[in-house]
Amino acid sequence: MFSYVGRRIVYSIPVLLVSSFILFWAVRVTFDPLLKFRGGGNRDPLAIQRQIERLGLDKSIPRQYWIWINDFFRGDWGVSSRTNGDVFPMIWRALGVTLQMIVIGVVVSALFSVAIGVYSAVRQYSIGDYFFTGFSYLGVAMPPFWFGLIAIQFLAVWPKERFDLDETPFFFIGLHSPGMSGFNMDYLRHLFLPVLTLTVQIVGSWSRYQRAAMLDVLSSDYVRTARAKGIPRNRVIFKHAFRNALGPLVTVISVDAALLMGGLIITEKIFSIPGMGRLFFDSLLAGDVFVLVPWMIVTAAVVIVFNLIADLLYGVIDPRVRVS
Amino acid sequence: MLKTRFGRIGGALALALSASLIAVGCGDSKDDAATTTTAVEIPKGGTLVIGAEQEPDCVDWIASCAGSSWGSWMLKVQTIPQAFSVRDVSGTWTPQKTEVLAGDPEVEQVGGKQVITYKLGTKAVWSDGVAITAKDFVYTAETIRDGDDIYDKTGYDKIEKIEAKDDTTVVATLSTTYPDWRGLFSGGYGILPAHLLEGKDRSAIMKDGYDFSGGPWKLEKWDKGVSITLVPNDKYWGAKPNLDKVIFQFTTDTAAAFQAFKSDQVSVLYPQPQLDAIDQIKAGLPNAQSSYSPRSGNVEALWINNEAFPFDSLAVRQAVGFSIDRDAVVKRLFGAVGVDKAVQSFNPPIVSAFAGEDFSKYTLNLDKVNELMTGDGWAKGSDGVWAKDGKKAEFAFSTTANNKRRELTQEVVQSQLKDAGFLTVIERKPAGELFGQILPDGKYAMALYAQVATFPSPSLSSIFLSTNIPTEANAFSGQNWTRTNVDGLDKLLKQVDTELDEAKRIEVSKEADKLIAESATSLPLDPLPNILLWSNSVLGPVSDNPVEGPFWNLSAWGLKQ
Repeated sequence: MFSYVGRRIVYSIPVLLVSSFILFWAVRVTFDPLLKFRGGGNRDPLAIQRQIERLGLDKSIPRQYWIWINDFFRGDWGVSSRTNGDVFPMIWRALGVTLQMIVIGVVVSALFSVAIGVYSAVRQYSIGDYFFTGFSYLGVAMPPFWFGLIAIQFLAVWPKERFDLDETPFFFIGLHSPGMSGFNMDYLRHLFLPVLTLTVQIVGSWSRYQRAAMLDVLSSDYVRTARAKGIPRNRVIFKHAFRNALGPLVTVISVDAALLMGGLIITEKIFSIPGMGRLFFDSLLAGDVFVLVPWMIVTAAVVIVFNLIADLLYGVIDPRVRVS
Repeated sequence: MLKTRFGRIGGALALALSASLIAVGCGDSKDDAATTTTAVEIPKGGTLVIGAEQEPDCVDWIASCAGSSWGSWMLKVQTIPQAFSVRDVSGTWTPQKTEVLAGDPEVEQVGGKQVITYKLGTKAVWSDGVAITAKDFVYTAETIRDGDDIYDKTGYDKIEKIEAKDDTTVVATLSTTYPDWRGLFSGGYGILPAHLLEGKDRSAIMKDGYDFSGGPWKLEKWDKGVSITLVPNDKYWGAKPNLDKVIFQFTTDTAAAFQAFKSDQVSVLYPQPQLDAIDQIKAGLPNAQSSYSPRSGNVEALWINNEAFPFDSLAVRQAVGFSIDRDAVVKRLFGAVGVDKAVQSFNPPIVSAFAGEDFSKYTLNLDKVNELMTGDGWAKGSDGVWAKDGKKAEFAFSTTANNKRRELTQEVVQSQLKDAGFLTVIERKPAGELFGQILPDGKYAMALYAQVATFPSPSLSSIFLSTNIPTEANAFSGQNWTRTNVDGLDKLLKQVDTELDEAKRIEVSKEADKLIAESATSLPLDPLPNILLWSNSVLGPVSDNPVEGPFWNLSAWGLKQ
């Protein structure tokens, strides 16, 4: 197993290098790194020239990339043109916040999706199946910005007004109240609504994948044989069918979880959470190339990591993968 | 000088000083009372949480990254001492010397140069107990004048020489007359502590928050992306704050911010006049007070590139002026907060004394449009669109992306222009691209955005002097993005910039306004009213200062216990 993981990590390095060069090149030719020096009324050609020399912008793109990637691996990720702050702590701070939401959101979503998917498949065309099917379509169709605001109104503001509470049951500004930190009830009360907003749409789609995969496995010959041999129904479902039906969902989860890295812009904005989505959006609007490039590379790395995790999970749920 | 207001950038100069009445009402925009003053005694103590819709990018105030209005309101005004601050004197906001100065500075004209002598008082100290001295003035002026990455050097670039005669005397010699000299060491940048910054990396010390203060508050913590916390500065020489702590909590979504306000998670909001904010106000806010101020330092306008087709024709520019019902547009946008009349000058309401009313002639008049266009050789085609020499009167209409109010404005204006025979193609660009490239490079025809004014003088020269037209020769510097070049206008604008006789300046400024309106270089639209909302639990003289922002007197606020 360790050699397998090692092999996968080694294979990932050229992928990351090639993708980082493509991203670096694309951003450099799309955005002007000196936008803030060129705009406005204080455009000073001498200051611009000094910046060009300082940043090495007079060199070729491959040469710039070589300098940049060397600094990147040494931990010097540059300075943001928007904030004048070091990029490394900016990205790591945002990454930490977003990962909290992704990890909790993915775990919660996976649990609900699997439960709903299995139930719907086992009880195909039952009232419960129709209910969850309707729910999943509704969840998929519900835009996060709309659901987020509705959740704030009906799960936070309305109960406070209706029951004359001192404060709302759930908070919706940031991940902690001012002055608070750590894992505590305040954190959970802040986390509930954004995670709910995140999971409703995900559960809607993942539960459909799980249902389809489970139905596929339940109709396979080996399951029918097991039932014919008299193995109890629950044992067939959970020991033989369920495990094999997880494979497709693991693939979907790994792809979706990685996409969430930059895909939570709306959720982060509504709930004032300073995560990767907001960082990307703010940097994009300001044309801050010094943040955009490392942001994209970190996101690419996260995609690779999630794919690696998915591959490892295949091995856990399917012994044939381990053997091969 | 005017500065562009967009997104997080622009607006530091909104803090630069202002002179005009502010209309403040309590839930009613038509009230002209100057401030809302509560007579009750303000209790001491408590923590006030304020919803801040923007987080500053950095707080190294003189650097280009520190253009955020919110940054200034939250932190700069509270911690950086100023030579002059803007206060309401008999209903008029005027620059008043602060206690940093012992008296009004002496201003002399010596050989065509302006010499300003500042005498400093002895009470003012930094939060470490060190006195605010002449060295701080010299350090501040030289750093701004000579620095590379400076947000705006206006005024400081005229300082030829600045000397500390002794600890309490500073003499600044300006190369030319600068009527806005009170803006130096004041709202724009204030005064920085030389003993803490000189010879050191100022940016590194300040950009992520600094622990010194020369104001009533000091920064306790900047939790990036989450909040800024202020606590009283124990060493402050003036009136001490009533509150124990003020937390500015970043609320990036307007709808969520209003919900937080309704549910008491935040007690004060100062939202941009966006559609969703106005809708929320219309829907009603229980247990809250509000003030709406149309007399702001902003002018949002339809800025026209005078060199681009079809606006290279005076007749077309004037015809466009008669094609749009500007009052109807403004009423649609801000009618709910009582603002329903278009502004009639590019001098914003806070410097209205210098503004003419000459744009008022541009009202919807399609007969006049026909007269002007046919007189200029245009004819309407079968599609109802004006054309001349085989070219249709079709042009791009640009604005910033992700701004619902501007998007609505574009759509309304587009519809009105279509009725008058003009075709527009709507474009929405990221603010950085629009203000950093498209406008300076002149790659637009018509654009919708706002300018924020300085105070106490108007200074349309920066945006209308022909010498400020960006060209390749001057590396596209200068802010005359409309490429305005009107005969006689330069002379008037320069006179406004240098004339020391106030009455004469006003007269000349109005003459300039008349020329600008006649040549329809652009079309002023609305004043972007200021909206301030606060919970009934907040006590004190809560009111908006059109220059220093809504928290200018935060130290006098309190909370119901």
